Amino acid sequence: MSDRWQYLLVLAACLAITAPLEMFGPGVYRQWRRVARSVLPVALAFVMWDEIAVAAHVWRYNTTYISGLNVPFRVPIEEVLFFLVIPVCGLLTFNAVSTILDKVGRR
Amino acid sequence: MTGVGYTVPAVLTVVAVCVMELALLRTGLFRRAAYWLSMLIVLGFQVPVDGWLTKLSSPIVIYDDHQTTGLRFPFDIPIEDFLFGFALVTAVLLLWERQRARG
Repeated sequence: MSDRWQYLLVLAACLAITAPLEMFGPGVYRQWRRVARSVLPVALAFVMWDEIAVAAHVWRYNTTYISGLNVPFRVPIEEVLFFLVIPVCGLLTFNAVSTILDKVGRR
Repeated sequence: MTGVGYTVPAVLTVVAVCVMELALLRTGLFRRAAYWLSMLIVLGFQVPVDGWLTKLSSPIVIYDDHQTTGLRFPFDIPIEDFLFGFALVTAVLLLWERQRARG
């Protein structure tokens, strides 16, 4: 398989591993409006940071391991997805931990 | 290794997120055990994921060493990435918590 899907596969693995955490408490994906209002403003800020960093040559992406689609300017689509995927993984973790600690605390 | 391009913005972003909570949002997130335990778990997963993205043998992300401290730990992860990750996840959790009451 081509190496250019590598970064996308890493993100897919993150989503797959955290998916079962949705079963805890009120879940995260089930509150998708709240997810959008939490994740999108932060993702926008980080994409802007990313655009500036790439433009200023602070970091760059190895074209061997990315699809080649850039959104909107110099940042790869993978990096934009990173700012959506990782926060959702974080929310799933926090939701699961909160639900478990609440149950333990009530006992 | 001036650190200007990455280290300084990474530190400033962490400070900005903390100020946002303490002065503006006041969700109480930093006082919750669930937050710190979650961040520990996120950190545990950041190491393999970020380690894969930044490994010097075949990196997906390539940094200009002049823009960082040059400190890479563990594996080849630039230490600035941990500030970056902390700010990213904490900012999202703060907005998530702020919407708790409103539903």
